[in-house]
Amino acid sequence: MWLVLCSSTDVPALWAYQGLRQLGFGPLELVLTDGLARASHWEHRLDARGIHLNFTLADGRVIDATRIRGAVNRVLFPSTIPEWAVSPDRDYVQAELHAFYLSWLNSLPGVVLNRPTATGLCGSWLHASEWALRAGRAGLTTRRYQQAAQDSPEHGGVPPVADASLRRVIAFDGQVFGAPVPRGVANGCIKLAQDVETALLGLDFQVDPGGEWNFCDASPCPDLSLGGMPLLRSVAQVLQEARP
Amino acid sequence: MILVCGIPSETPLRMVISHLESLGVPFLVFNQRQFATSAMWFEIDQQEIRGQLRIGGETHALSDIHSVYSRLMDDRLLPELAGEAPESPLRNHCRSLHDTLMRWMEIAPELVINRCAPMASNSSKPYQNQLIREQGFLTPETLITNEPALVREFRAKNRRVIYKSISALRSIVEEMSDEDEDRLERIRHCPTQFQVFVEGTNVRVHTIGGEVFATAVRSAATDYRYAARQAGEPAELREVTLSPDLSEQCLRLARTLRLEFAGIDLKITPDDEVYCFEVNPCPAFSYYEANTDQPISAAVARYLAKGNSSGAHSAYP
Repeated sequence: MWLVLCSSTDVPALWAYQGLRQLGFGPLELVLTDGLARASHWEHRLDARGIHLNFTLADGRVIDATRIRGAVNRVLFPSTIPEWAVSPDRDYVQAELHAFYLSWLNSLPGVVLNRPTATGLCGSWLHASEWALRAGRAGLTTRRYQQAAQDSPEHGGVPPVADASLRRVIAFDGQVFGAPVPRGVANGCIKLAQDVETALLGLDFQVDPGGEWNFCDASPCPDLSLGGMPLLRSVAQVLQEARP
Repeated sequence: MILVCGIPSETPLRMVISHLESLGVPFLVFNQRQFATSAMWFEIDQQEIRGQLRIGGETHALSDIHSVYSRLMDDRLLPELAGEAPESPLRNHCRSLHDTLMRWMEIAPELVINRCAPMASNSSKPYQNQLIREQGFLTPETLITNEPALVREFRAKNRRVIYKSISALRSIVEEMSDEDEDRLERIRHCPTQFQVFVEGTNVRVHTIGGEVFATAVRSAATDYRYAARQAGEPAELREVTLSPDLSEQCLRLARTLRLEFAGIDLKITPDDEVYCFEVNPCPAFSYYEANTDQPISAAVARYLAKGNSSGAHSAYP
């Protein structure tokens, strides 16, 4: 069994779920974060025999990690906290739930796209300054990043990009999906994804009138539909290779 | 130049500053409480990082700073901001200054004790435990659940069970009692961590710059940090020497977690099994140093003084 973990408003993930099913990939379970929030039973164990996970969703489905072969993980934050919880209990519950999600997501067996990190539940969420530095080191052309302890609007990050010059791609499994990309840019995208140990990485570029691709931003939770069915076929192949 | 960040009167910071003075090395203190007279900027251009930090009336190039020791407290809680409106200019300047400083520390090529991203593994104890296990340490048998029946079964099987928070928010470790079982229904709203109580001697290991300082803690309390409250008398601390293998294992764990300075909590059982509970990325070492005279703060100062030249630190990855 494979999982697609996402919120009910994550349209690209829902598109990917339907697309994977159309490809005949399965068994595939759609697990929504809303359902995780209302899970009636959670059991997460760390003991001498290993790490175990078992939960029962509100609709009665039982998810046991021993049957999981992999997942598409799009969990951005833990489930909603009940309205009646107020600070400081609310803050405590929020921190505890985040800690819990980080642990159980990390314990999922098989191929997980993307595995959580300490900086993000579905992969590395880096600050714009760190993306800029790492992208440059991966060989991508970057725009100047500036930050200052001032309130003036001309400081802070990089200038915004006009939609018309924006190009979005996805690096996955040594390939780049989405807009056609010059070879050197593609190599940089793949290198950056490897550098941040994020299997599936979305990258945004601004293409200037001279055809130069300038790195703008990256995300471990990109719009999967940019990659179309070629991306989904590649995702299915990588997930399929995971052993039970 | 060494940059020390935090509140200089805080004991760990004060001890390190004192040793830096003794070493006679140049250093600079960013006192958070004087944020109003401080400023900073940096830029990244073609992979080069440039910038300046102004403290008081003096401006320093960031390229002159070769190592950083940070013990920043939550800047939103600084006394100087008491009574300030949520979006006041002073509050905004304080937040922006701290954000700029922390963003630079995250990517600076210099030695930084410690960067934020590596510290984040401690925000989830069971996640960090998974990383700890990969380094060959035992971790306590753990159950995280929202199911009261599973907890009762876990306790019946293991007899002595403790419960504690799993996030970075501190909680007092308590042994589960019959009275606690009566209120187990409350965990249905938030999965809660229960662990088998491990018998043995608590050992806090500080690792810094390839050096290892181990302190054994004798206390009847479940959580020795609160020994006076839980056991009626304070914990007794004494210096101990770890085996070379265990010392190396601790250093390897800190390296794997990319922590220049770490406080590793071990428990060594009567059968000499070594359990690791967690790795603290911002250890308040002064408690251990004050009770054992172990020269931890001196080691921190020496490591800072070596900076990039030590070659031992994990530069920005």
